[in-house]
Amino acid sequence: MNVLIRKTWSPYLAGAVAGLVLCLSVLIAGKYFGASTTYVRSAGLLEKVVASKHVAKSSYFMRTKLKVDWQMLFVVGVILGSFASAQMSRDFTAVAIPSMWKRRFGTNKAKRFLVAFLGGVIALFGARMAGG
Amino acid sequence: MELIYGLVTGILFGFLMQKAQVIRYDKQVGAMRLVDFTIFKFMLSAIIVGMIGIYFLKDFGIVSLDVKSTSLGANIIGGLMFGIGWALAGYCPGTAAGALGEGRWDALIVILGMMAGAALYAEAYPAMKSSILTWGNYGKITLSSILGWNHWVVIVVLSIIYVGLFYLFEKKNV
Repeated sequence: MNVLIRKTWSPYLAGAVAGLVLCLSVLIAGKYFGASTTYVRSAGLLEKVVASKHVAKSSYFMRTKLKVDWQMLFVVGVILGSFASAQMSRDFTAVAIPSMWKRRFGTNKAKRFLVAFLGGVIALFGARMAGG
Repeated sequence: MELIYGLVTGILFGFLMQKAQVIRYDKQVGAMRLVDFTIFKFMLSAIIVGMIGIYFLKDFGIVSLDVKSTSLGANIIGGLMFGIGWALAGYCPGTAAGALGEGRWDALIVILGMMAGAALYAEAYPAMKSSILTWGNYGKITLSSILGWNHWVVIVVLSIIYVGLFYLFEKKNV
């Protein structure tokens, strides 16, 4: 069990096991890994609370089908799995600003959060366009 | 049942990504700056095992693989946007979730931004459906179908290239 509390695994080994987990997932559940559709579903489900008529008219939200599905639980699982791994190796640290960012741009949280938000908007818009 | 499979698979994948340290901003931006190759090692290893496993299962008719259509307009413009956004955010849609799990609060802001980006895309979709998204549409193509090679030849060639890259990474100690 001591391997589970180690802080790092070889990225080659962890990657190869991740490839194996993918094969098993396709074999057992028929599901390939993905995350970006979950952002569409959760945005649509939230938007439905404030503007349900607008969402019902949206061709994109309608073709995506707004429901809790395999992938949404997969993304929740990624959060939990990462949390469990970090806890077991005592690697969990609440930090707001990554160290590489800090060295280059300083410790201003508002600055980091603004760029983080804008980056998220652009990345997901691009991902959906490109079919991811 | 489908939901339980999703949760368990996600837990395994999140665990592996945390152990390989690939969900960190420094590793992702480090990969884009070509100073840290951890992500390349993780992803290319997963791709080698994944492509061999999936095509093996597919050849026996046990699983199905549905390739997405290639549309140059959508893939190039969307890909460029994704790269810019990923570099600014420091997390991709999957790693943002993992980063939040190990305590990185800026990943939560990225997740909120991604939900806003998804809502924005839903608004822009009707206008793009008949324009950008149709430019340079080649349908469901693969390397094997373009080159006219058997898919196992493509798999072997790619695996050799990836292992060659691993050799370089280790030699240069990156």
